Amino acid sequence: MTDYEMTSCLSAVADQLLKEVQKTYQEKTQIPDDLLIALRFVFGSCALQALDLIDKRSVTCVSSFSGRRAYQVMGGSGLLYTCYTSCHYCPCPAFTYTVLRRNDSLLCKHILAAYLSQAMGLSQQETVSDQQMSSILSGRAAATDT
Amino acid sequence: MSFQRKRKKYSKDIKCILFPDDDVKVGARKMGIEPSIITNSASNSWERCGDSFLNTPLIKNLSSSGKKWQHVRQQSPAQAQGGGPHYEEEEPVHIAWSSSDSELSDGEAQAKQPAPPPPSHTGAQQHSRPRGPAASKQSYSRALRRLCTETHCPDDLLKIDPDSDSEVADDVEEENISECGSERYIVEPNQSFPKLTTAEDPDISDYPSDEEGDSADTPTQSCLEAVAVKGGTRSVSDWVRSAQAALQTPQKQTTKNAKTPEDSHKKKITFQRGGLAERLNRLQSRQRSAISFWRHQSISCTNRSSAVHKPGVLVLEVLSVQEESCMQMALCEHHPPATDQHRPPSNTSITTADQDNLSATDHTLPPSGPVRARVLVLFNKETVGQLAPAPGDVIYVYPPWQSLMIDGQHNTIILNTHFSQKVYSDTKQASRVLVPVVKCSPYSLARTFHQVEFNKTLPVGHGIVQKVSAQSLCCIGGSVTRRSSRWDSLLEAIEGLGQAGPLGRGVEVVVQRVYCTPVREQSARASLKSRVLGRSPTVPPSVQNSKNRLCALVQDSYGMFSVVQLHLLPSEDQLHLYSSKWQGRTCILRAIKVVQRVTRERYSRLFSLIDSLWPPPMSLKIDGGTQNVHNDSRPKGPAPSFCYFLSGQESSVEPVEGEPVSTLYLRPTVQTLRDILECELSCHCCSFVATVIHSRIQYHSGDVAQVPGEVWLIVTDPSLQQPEVPPCRRTLAVCMTTSCVLTSSVAKAISTPGVCYMSFRDAVKEHGVILCVEQSVVQLQPLVCCPQTESQGGAVSGSFPQTLQQASSQPVRLDPLSPETSPNSLCTVTGRIVSVDEDTAYSWPICNMCGSDRLETAPQKTKAFHCVACDSLVDRPTVKMHLEVFINCSTVKESTVKIKLQQSTIKSLLNAASPGQEFPGYEVENVLGRELGPLSSYVRMVTRKPTLWISLEEICL
Repeated sequence: MTDYEMTSCLSAVADQLLKEVQKTYQEKTQIPDDLLIALRFVFGSCALQALDLIDKRSVTCVSSFSGRRAYQVMGGSGLLYTCYTSCHYCPCPAFTYTVLRRNDSLLCKHILAAYLSQAMGLSQQETVSDQQMSSILSGRAAATDT
Repeated sequence: MSFQRKRKKYSKDIKCILFPDDDVKVGARKMGIEPSIITNSASNSWERCGDSFLNTPLIKNLSSSGKKWQHVRQQSPAQAQGGGPHYEEEEPVHIAWSSSDSELSDGEAQAKQPAPPPPSHTGAQQHSRPRGPAASKQSYSRALRRLCTETHCPDDLLKIDPDSDSEVADDVEEENISECGSERYIVEPNQSFPKLTTAEDPDISDYPSDEEGDSADTPTQSCLEAVAVKGGTRSVSDWVRSAQAALQTPQKQTTKNAKTPEDSHKKKITFQRGGLAERLNRLQSRQRSAISFWRHQSISCTNRSSAVHKPGVLVLEVLSVQEESCMQMALCEHHPPATDQHRPPSNTSITTADQDNLSATDHTLPPSGPVRARVLVLFNKETVGQLAPAPGDVIYVYPPWQSLMIDGQHNTIILNTHFSQKVYSDTKQASRVLVPVVKCSPYSLARTFHQVEFNKTLPVGHGIVQKVSAQSLCCIGGSVTRRSSRWDSLLEAIEGLGQAGPLGRGVEVVVQRVYCTPVREQSARASLKSRVLGRSPTVPPSVQNSKNRLCALVQDSYGMFSVVQLHLLPSEDQLHLYSSKWQGRTCILRAIKVVQRVTRERYSRLFSLIDSLWPPPMSLKIDGGTQNVHNDSRPKGPAPSFCYFLSGQESSVEPVEGEPVSTLYLRPTVQTLRDILECELSCHCCSFVATVIHSRIQYHSGDVAQVPGEVWLIVTDPSLQQPEVPPCRRTLAVCMTTSCVLTSSVAKAISTPGVCYMSFRDAVKEHGVILCVEQSVVQLQPLVCCPQTESQGGAVSGSFPQTLQQASSQPVRLDPLSPETSPNSLCTVTGRIVSVDEDTAYSWPICNMCGSDRLETAPQKTKAFHCVACDSLVDRPTVKMHLEVFINCSTVKESTVKIKLQQSTIKSLLNAASPGQEFPGYEVENVLGRELGPLSSYVRMVTRKPTLWISLEEICL
C-alpha cells in the first residue's frame, strides 16, 4: 500500500461504509447491527447523534430548479445547518472544533446525518426557487421558512 | 533520565502558555532590559499563581519519592526568593504551566485587584524583599491554594464536548473555543490533564520557554544554592510540606476531572423509541461492557499461546503505523494459524467475525501463502491507548472484529478492533518509544464521500431537478417485480421493516377483502337525519364531506393476516372499483408501516371475519420452507390469534399483472337468513342479500344536537317468508353500528318509504343479533340482477335478487306479537283497546300545503291560519293526531301492550266512533273496547320486569 493510500484511507473507509449502508438499506430496508457498530467505530460518537437525527427525520434535501442542491439539517435545538454536496462543511461549532481545528473526527453529526439519510433515502425533499437557493447557499436563509 | 530530556518532552505536550505580561517580559529579557522591571512583573505573575496555594490543606504525609522532593526544592525556594536575576529567567515558565488559558482573564483580574484574603500580601511586596520563613510559608500556602484552584482550569476545557447533542451547548462551547483560540491553548480532552499532573514536578520547576534552550539548567542550580543559603532549613521544610500538598491535591482532582468528558456524554436526550439511534446506543453500551470485561479478563489471563489456536483470532505483525484523525491505522501482515480454513470472499464487503460465527471469521482475509496477506487495521483512540501499536509488534485481534473491502483496493480493512492484545513487542522498543507516529494530513474537505451517489443525482447542465425522493430510493429493487425481491411472509416483512421506516421491499399477499371505515362519525348520518325528519337540514348535508378510509384485509401464503389501512376515498362509490381491482388477487404490498398489533381478544369482530376465511382453501407454506407443500391432509391448525394493522397509500397495493384470482382467496359465502338464524355458532360472520322492509335510526344526545347513532334495519328474505317451511322468524333485525360505513345511496334508500334490496357482506351475528361492523360492506342491490356483478368480487351476488323480486309482489309476513318478541323488530298485533293514554292524546293543525306546523292565526279570518314556513294563507289546515292506546292482546297474556297508532288508524277509529261528523273530537268511551288489527308494528321497547311491558309503534309497510 502506498503512502497515498494510507493517507486517504480513513475517508475511503468512511466512503465504503456509506456505500454499504446504502446497499444494505436498499436490500433489506434496515441497517443491521454490525453495520451500526462499524459506523460507530469509524465515525465515533457522532454516528449515534447522526442516527438520532435520521430517526427524527431532521434532514431535508433542498433543491432548486437549476439543479443546485444542499442539505439542511435541523439540529437538536431547532437550528438549521446547511451542509453542501460538493464539500464537507457545516457551520456548527463541532465541525469547527473537532474536524477543522482538532482533526479528531471525519465529519460532524450533521454532515453524517445528511450522508446517511441520503443513503437510506430518508431525507425530506423540498424544492425552492433559485433565489431562495442562493440565499441558502450563502447562509442567509432557511428553506423551511418559506 | 536527565532533566533536559524530560523538559523537552513535556514542552511538546504542554504548550508554553504565558501570561500576557510575561510575553512582554520574555521579549524584554531578550532585549536586555533592566532586570528589576522584569522581576516585578514576573512576581506579579507568580503572585497570581501563588494565591492559589493559600487554603490548601497541608498534607503531613511525606512519603513521596525523594526525587519529587528535590524538584520541589528546586522550585520552591526560587519562588520564595522572588527577586534575583536567576529567578527572572525561570519565572515565566512556572506560571506558564500552572495557569491555564481559560483562567487567564481571571488571573489578570486578580492581579489588578487586591488578591483574595489576605489582601495585603501582594506579589510585588513578597518578591521585592526577602521575607522570613513564616511569611514564605504563608505565601506558599496561598500559592498552593491558587495552584489547586487553578488545576480546575483545564477542567473547563475538558468539558468541551464537541459531540454534544444540543446546539445551544455547542454555542456555549464555541465561546470556550474562541477563548482558547490560539493554538497553544488546545488541550487534549482525555490526555492533557493527566499528563499535566504526572508531569508536574519537573515542569513546575524548570519549564523553560523554548528560546531558553539548554542554558536553563544552570540558573536553576544557582537558584537552588541561593535558596539554601537564604531560606534556611526551616523554610525549606515548610516549602516541602506545602509542595507536598501541591503534589497531592491535583492528584485527587485528576481522578475527578478525568471523568468529565465521559460524564458529559451521559446528558443524552432520549432517543426515539425503536429508532436507529436507540439501537446503536444499546449496542454501544453492550459493547462497552464487553470490552471492559474482556480487558479485565485479558489482564488476568496470561496464557497467550493458546489464543492463537482459537478460531477467529487474527495474528498480525505490525509493519507501519499512521495516525489519522484520532485513529491509528496499522499496516499489518496477517499470520494465519495453520488450522485456518480460507473461504472465498462473500458478497457483502463488510463482514463480522464473532463468537457465533467463528467459521466465517477468516473468509474475508486474503489467503495466506508464501506471501503473507497484508491487512490494514484500524484502532480507535481507546485501543491505541491500551495497545500503543508500533512496527514490529505482534498483535492479536480477537473476535468480534469486522473486515471491510474497499472497492478498487486489494487490502482488507479490519474494523472494530476493540479486543486487541499486544503479545510481542519489538526488542528495539525502548529506542523506538519516542518516535512519534506519523500523522497523516487531514483529508481534503473537498473530497466528499459517496461520490457515485452525488454524481448520479447531480445533472450538470440540465435545468431539471432530479429528486432522490424517499420512495425512489426505497423502491430501488423493489419496484422491479421480481419474485426474489419480495418477501412472501408478512411477518418476515414486518420484522424486516424493523424500526427503520417504510417497507421498501414488497411483500406478496392475497387481498381477501376490501372495505372502508368511516373516519368521522358525523357525515352521512347527519344528512340522513334531515331527510328522515323531512325538514330543511340544520346541518348541511355532509355526505360529500364524509371521509372513508379504504382498508384491505390481506393474507400471505403462510396464512398470516393483516389489515392495511390505505388512503381516504374521495367518493364511497370507489370502493366498488378497488374491490373489483384488488379483491381476490395476489398483490404486492409496498411502503407499508406497522400501526398496531392486535389480538383476537380485543378485536373479536375482525377475527370473526378472519375465522370465516379459515381454514384456507389451499395448503399453506410452513416456516422455513419456500415450496408449497401439496398435502391437504396436513391439519392447518387454528386461525391466527393476532394480526397487524398496517398503513399505506394507494400505491402500496399493486396487483400482480396477469395473475388470476388467487387460490388462497375465499369469496364471501352468501347465506339465506334462515341458514344464518339456524346457525348454532354464537358469533360468526355472514353475508346475505335481503329485503329491507323497515329502518329506524337511533339518536344519541350529543353536545349540540342529537347525534345519529345506530341504524336498525328490519330485513327478510324468501327463506323466511316461505309459508310451507317449519315456523321460523319472518323478519330479522340488522344493526348497522356507527363503525360501518353507511353510503349515501344506502342512506337514501332507507330514508325513502318502501322496500329496498341490499347486500350485506361480512356482517357479524353476535348473540342472535346481526351487526354490521367495520369490516362489513352494505350495498344497495339492484333488483335486476346483471350477470356482470357475478364476476365482481365486491358485491355479494347470487340468485337471490330474482327470488326477492318474486317475493316482493307478495305482502310481507310478520311474526305475531309474542312474549319473546325482541325490541327493534317487527310484528303484527291484534287486540282490543282497553285504555287510552290521555296524556299523550292530542291533535294539532298543520299546513295543508307544506306540512309545516308553524302556523299563526290569520289576522283577517278567524278560522284560518297563516303558514310561516310557506307564507300562505291556510284555510283548511290538516289536523294531525297523536294517539297511544293500551290493548289487550290474545297472544301476550298478562302484559301491558301500548301502541302508538298511525294517522289513518286514528281517523278510522274516531270516524267509526262518531259517524257523520268530520272532526268531532272523541270520547274515550267511544274508543274503548274497539278491536284493532292486525296492525304491523315496530317494537320500540320491551320491559320484562316486573311484568312484561311492550311498547309498539304502528308502521306502514
